[in-house]
Amino acid sequence: MLILRPKGEFEVCVEAELTPELAMRSVEEVKKFKVYYGNRVVELGELFEVVKEGEEKKLVLDGNFSRVKWIGARMVDGEIIVKGSVGANCGAFMRGGKIIVEGNADDWLGTEMAGGEIVVKGNARNLVGCAYYGDAVGMTAGKIVIEGNAGNYIGEKMNGGEIIIKGNAGDFVGTEMRAGVIEIHGSCGFVGGDMRGGEIRIKGSFDLLPTFKKTEKGFVGDVNVKGEGVIKTL
Amino acid sequence: MIWIKNGIVVDPKNKINAEKMDIFVKDGKIVAERDVKKEDCKVIDASGKLVVAGGVDMHAHIAGSKINTGRTMRPEEMRVVRNIAGKFRAAVGRVLLTAPAIGYEYAKMGYTTSFEAAQPPIGALHTHEELDAIPMIDKGALPVFGNWHLVFKCIEEKNLEKLKALVAWAIERTKGFGVKVVNPGGVEAWMYGGNVKNLDDQVPGFSVTPREIITWLIKANEELGLPHSVHLHCNNLGVPGNYQTTIESIKLAKGFSNPKRQVLHVTHVQFNSYAGSSWRDAASGAAEIAKVVNSMENVTIDMGAAIFGHATAMTGDAPFQFSLHKLIGARWSNKDTEVETGAGIVPIGYLPSNPVHSLQWAIGLELGLLVDSNKVVLTTDYPNGGPFTEYPYVMAMLMSKKMREGELKKVHQYVQKATTLPSIETEKTLYEVIHMTRSLPAKVLGLENKGHLGIGADADIAIYNLNPLETDFSNEFEKVYKSFKTAEYTIKGGEIIAKNGELLKEVFGKTYWVDARKRVDLEAVIPDVKNYFNYYSVQLGNYGVEERWLKNPSRIEVV
Repeated sequence: MLILRPKGEFEVCVEAELTPELAMRSVEEVKKFKVYYGNRVVELGELFEVVKEGEEKKLVLDGNFSRVKWIGARMVDGEIIVKGSVGANCGAFMRGGKIIVEGNADDWLGTEMAGGEIVVKGNARNLVGCAYYGDAVGMTAGKIVIEGNAGNYIGEKMNGGEIIIKGNAGDFVGTEMRAGVIEIHGSCGFVGGDMRGGEIRIKGSFDLLPTFKKTEKGFVGDVNVKGEGVIKTL
Repeated sequence: MIWIKNGIVVDPKNKINAEKMDIFVKDGKIVAERDVKKEDCKVIDASGKLVVAGGVDMHAHIAGSKINTGRTMRPEEMRVVRNIAGKFRAAVGRVLLTAPAIGYEYAKMGYTTSFEAAQPPIGALHTHEELDAIPMIDKGALPVFGNWHLVFKCIEEKNLEKLKALVAWAIERTKGFGVKVVNPGGVEAWMYGGNVKNLDDQVPGFSVTPREIITWLIKANEELGLPHSVHLHCNNLGVPGNYQTTIESIKLAKGFSNPKRQVLHVTHVQFNSYAGSSWRDAASGAAEIAKVVNSMENVTIDMGAAIFGHATAMTGDAPFQFSLHKLIGARWSNKDTEVETGAGIVPIGYLPSNPVHSLQWAIGLELGLLVDSNKVVLTTDYPNGGPFTEYPYVMAMLMSKKMREGELKKVHQYVQKATTLPSIETEKTLYEVIHMTRSLPAKVLGLENKGHLGIGADADIAIYNLNPLETDFSNEFEKVYKSFKTAEYTIKGGEIIAKNGELLKEVFGKTYWVDARKRVDLEAVIPDVKNYFNYYSVQLGNYGVEERWLKNPSRIEVV
């Protein structure tokens, strides 16, 4: 197990693809790991205290990581526990393993992820499990659980996997969604624009576009794109 | 001063074919041995290496409204980092490159000149601002004329003097280089949601036809004696069966002649060489087109080769872009419809497993192989057919039958029956390929100091780590490809700008523009222009680009 603690407040954002794979390296190696601090390339050891305890493939980020981007990006296995908040792009492109965030998550959580699990105990911001601008598909597999609220554009262009939001969400949930499941236990704004497939289940209130037909299965659409997505109450 | 020693020179314009000789450079020009002091020269040992003129790309979309819209709508293209800011500017891009990346990548490959192929006249300032941001290379831009109401008016009135005056005025105002014609009449029809289908269709709202537009513009261009001929993007681009329209358009050059150059250049012909009636039975019409081009003395073409991988279709041919968007379902942006032309942008990727893409790939190569080397220029119509950084692939393919056989195995086998590529035995020689990438495009553009290494030429030189005397071009295609991909030295205007793929110095090349005002009486058209500007969104006084606004203008006066 590897523990990282920020040495102080960050003036600008840090971009660091911190994955559990780091826990397999020696402390010296980890300290030399190259990360971006603003536009400068620095060594991880300059910004964080590094402590190693045992050989487990686990990364513990202890402190405020809300200005650290790309945590867990591209990870394939192992576990990351963040005892605080995380910055943007956490878990992007991840293929396996688990990330637990005890605080809040920033934008682009689990973007284009293809496996594994992300649990956020606090709130998440916008664009959870979606596609980066210009790409055709977002999240394709895996699971994202947000125990608090989430922002706009949840599961945009999602093509598989599962997103569960225990609180409320913003507008444009499941826009251009093709497959997979989004579950919202609270309320949300507009849902399913240009949705082609997949399912959105909502417990609370939500705004529906006029391009969905009411059927036995729930609301089916978006008819604008001959979609067969389903929106129903949970 | 530079002394390139013992290089093996291939210089088709001066009929030098793989001869060991020295090249001397002074003040940005190639000079005779006696004009330099050898002890002051920087010596480059080029023993066993190929020395050629810097490459000339005569048709690429490198600046202006289209490529910019392409960049905006394709953020995913901007994730490939090519250069981190430092001594040189930050450069990114996969196929759609940023302005600095365009210059840097050309330089690394040994290319030193590139022309923006379609500049909307009202967008000239934007185009030039962007050309000025491209380092390393010399450049120019071709304003588009084929769908401009003022052009139609002159043709309707059958007033050649007025048309000539308009062309001379517009080229000066836009600081352009020649007359580009994109889908004549078709883009005007697009303003009403339509297109034209053949050369004799009437353009909506005007009593002119595409045939008249092309012929009249050739007439005007030839009487003005511009350095470059009419540069034509034919009607019906991208439509199966269009090769007949292309042949008809090519034949419009009959009856015109110019001792110096062609009178019509037909561009990215690959996209205009489809036989058949739909994409289900599409086939190659390249052989027929090649026959016609070969039989005519006054027409040149460029390939517009398609290369497998990412690309972005961007042309002034707005109706075609819309049908492409409908065909493949990709994103689409409609551009410039409100100005003197139109445009569209659609992202595209060419896949070897796709029969149509394989067909396009094969047709590009067929054209390169079947047309006389003196009439076909190597292009990919960047970024429509693919990146210019893959020119070496096309070069190697033209020179090796074995490489083509290998590549043919990887593509959709539809090409076996739909094209003649598998049966073509021709292997172009290095001399021919160097001609197709250097001296020929320079000649087609009318740039006398480009594309060759004779005394007085611009010192734009590329040195490749390839000994033409010891290379078996048929079998060692991988080595050929690799060598042409990265020049050992790229010299631009007498300065070494890149070495083995490393940039050494940032230079800014010239922007060529043509001034033919002395050949006409501008008063013939000014009243019409003034009247026209009552309806423009800008005032006449604010229209166009002043020479002093350009970073490094180079005026070519036609007298």
